[in-house]
Amino acid sequence: MMFRFFGLLSLALLVPAVAAAQQGGAAPPAGRGAAPAAPANYPPYTTPVSSYVPPRTPDGQPDISGLYVAIPLPRSVETPVAPMANRPANRANGEFSYSLNERPKLPEGAIVRPAGVDPPDGKIPLKPEALAKRKEIIANQEKVEHLDGRVLCLSPGVPRSTIPAPVVGYQIFQKPGYVVIFYEQSHLYRTIPLDGRPALDPAIRKAMGVSRGHWEGNSLVVEVTNFTNNLENNWVIGAVSATPGIPAESLTTGHGIPHSDQYRVTERYTPIDANTIHYEAKITDEKVFTQPWTVAWYAFAKAPKDYVPVEYACFEGNEKNLFLMTNTDISGIRVNVP
Amino acid sequence: MKNRTVGAGATVAIVLAVGLTSAVEAQRGAAPQRGAAPARPPAPQAAAGYNGPRTPDRKPDLNGIWQAVTTAHWNLEAHSASEGVPAGMSVVDGGAIPYQPAALAQRNENFKNRMTADPLRKCYLPGVPRATYLPFPFEITQTPGHIGIAYEFAHGFRTIFMDATPHLEDLDFWMGDARGRWEGDTLVIDTVSLGDKTWFDQAGNFHSDALKVVERFTPTDATHINYEATMDDAKVFTRPWKINLILYRRMEKNLELLDYECAEHVYEKLFKQSAGKP
Repeated sequence: MMFRFFGLLSLALLVPAVAAAQQGGAAPPAGRGAAPAAPANYPPYTTPVSSYVPPRTPDGQPDISGLYVAIPLPRSVETPVAPMANRPANRANGEFSYSLNERPKLPEGAIVRPAGVDPPDGKIPLKPEALAKRKEIIANQEKVEHLDGRVLCLSPGVPRSTIPAPVVGYQIFQKPGYVVIFYEQSHLYRTIPLDGRPALDPAIRKAMGVSRGHWEGNSLVVEVTNFTNNLENNWVIGAVSATPGIPAESLTTGHGIPHSDQYRVTERYTPIDANTIHYEAKITDEKVFTQPWTVAWYAFAKAPKDYVPVEYACFEGNEKNLFLMTNTDISGIRVNVP
Repeated sequence: MKNRTVGAGATVAIVLAVGLTSAVEAQRGAAPQRGAAPARPPAPQAAAGYNGPRTPDRKPDLNGIWQAVTTAHWNLEAHSASEGVPAGMSVVDGGAIPYQPAALAQRNENFKNRMTADPLRKCYLPGVPRATYLPFPFEITQTPGHIGIAYEFAHGFRTIFMDATPHLEDLDFWMGDARGRWEGDTLVIDTVSLGDKTWFDQAGNFHSDALKVVERFTPTDATHINYEATMDDAKVFTRPWKINLILYRRMEKNLELLDYECAEHVYEKLFKQSAGKP
């Protein structure tokens, strides 16, 4: 029982709100149109300039391959609820789905810096209908149809899969013509072709989007399109929950930010030194946002030497969580497989 | 259903093994053993049979998208067609899986209940070797220290450690814990810690948590891999047994893995049940 309870608590904290972290304090955001004297919540954002020149792969790409762990955002809410030593052994545990791996220690010298955001007022430039939609989602966040997709163990999309969570390791592979990223979280992966091929037919949708990459100097730039939007729950930015009453345009949580079939992201992965990759995501969706907006942070740190990525099977044990949290029973549902 | 979830390891628990070797680091850092030097050692002698492309470290280049064309996913053993299921010959060496008597009874029970009991119909990860012969493609990404295999079904993946990282202990994984090595031009993968939740096929062929799988990927040319998997599970079988099939390189231009986001389909059904909302 204690175990279950622990599972729930952990779940609630599992996904840090991107900007609870970024906000840098409890002060209410000084919004667009607020008094000019109000300080901005975020430093002005500019893409970092790096003089670091990474080694090359055999096929000549800047070599950013390796095992990485997520760099926590400062002031994030992701503090583990129990120290690792107190956790029961969880082999043969069917009580909940998450592996509850404690974040490995960051290598010495890892950069933990405030994230950048544009526009700097920290307000998501939501169109009125999208704002209303998000209000509804936040107000009804306990209902299963509005539950955070990660609570349902749906794939979290982009950039959410790069937002630090308690269990996040990454593996970046490079092979001729491709960068491949394996995400420890929910065994997600993306294959990023670098050969300039066209985007896929808009009829084809993928939960993690369809990625097309190229190198600009030492930065990997990836256009991600064709995202799934068949369920209301698969948010591409997100958080497990939002504080009731939070303004619907606030980026202090990623909870419930909708997206349409036009949603797309331009990512930039910039190696800052041999151990650190800066990540930037410019988000565009004309149906949902009045203008593109950007979030960025130092996202990837080379993993410690003894780091071994392990399987994080989310959906496989999630039945009980869902039942306990929402009284939703999916245990009888079967799907057709070919 | 309750039994299944309360029982063992629906989950994969994860604890970082402490004190593992620095092999990971060793390979990640500039892979000194193969070096940045462009000098290419000659292909190993055993390579005589393989004349396809090679990676810079002179291993057969398995990078790309592959798929089995087989009925093994429906039934490893010989079977006639049934509704929705194509007929197929056995992929098992010797034809039949050498079950112990009680296990055979369990398999037959599984077969009867397969429409609800097959873990795949609950969108659980398929396990090994089943992931290989699902009717979905998979993509190999090959580097000297790690080989990544990404599967289209339920976005499963495996990282095959080629760098002498020891197996983790006391943990079960849906897709197992895989360590690989090259024997000449054959990629050999040892997988353990597979738990007892996955099946080998839709026909209820199953295993216990004692299962160990050894897979052998032997490329015969640029577009074909001879695939063997040997299953060893003393709790269920009377002896180790082997399957054989061919993996075909998918040759379509610009092909890429798409999605079978199985869990989404569970929720689509759920929401449809709940009075059309949302």
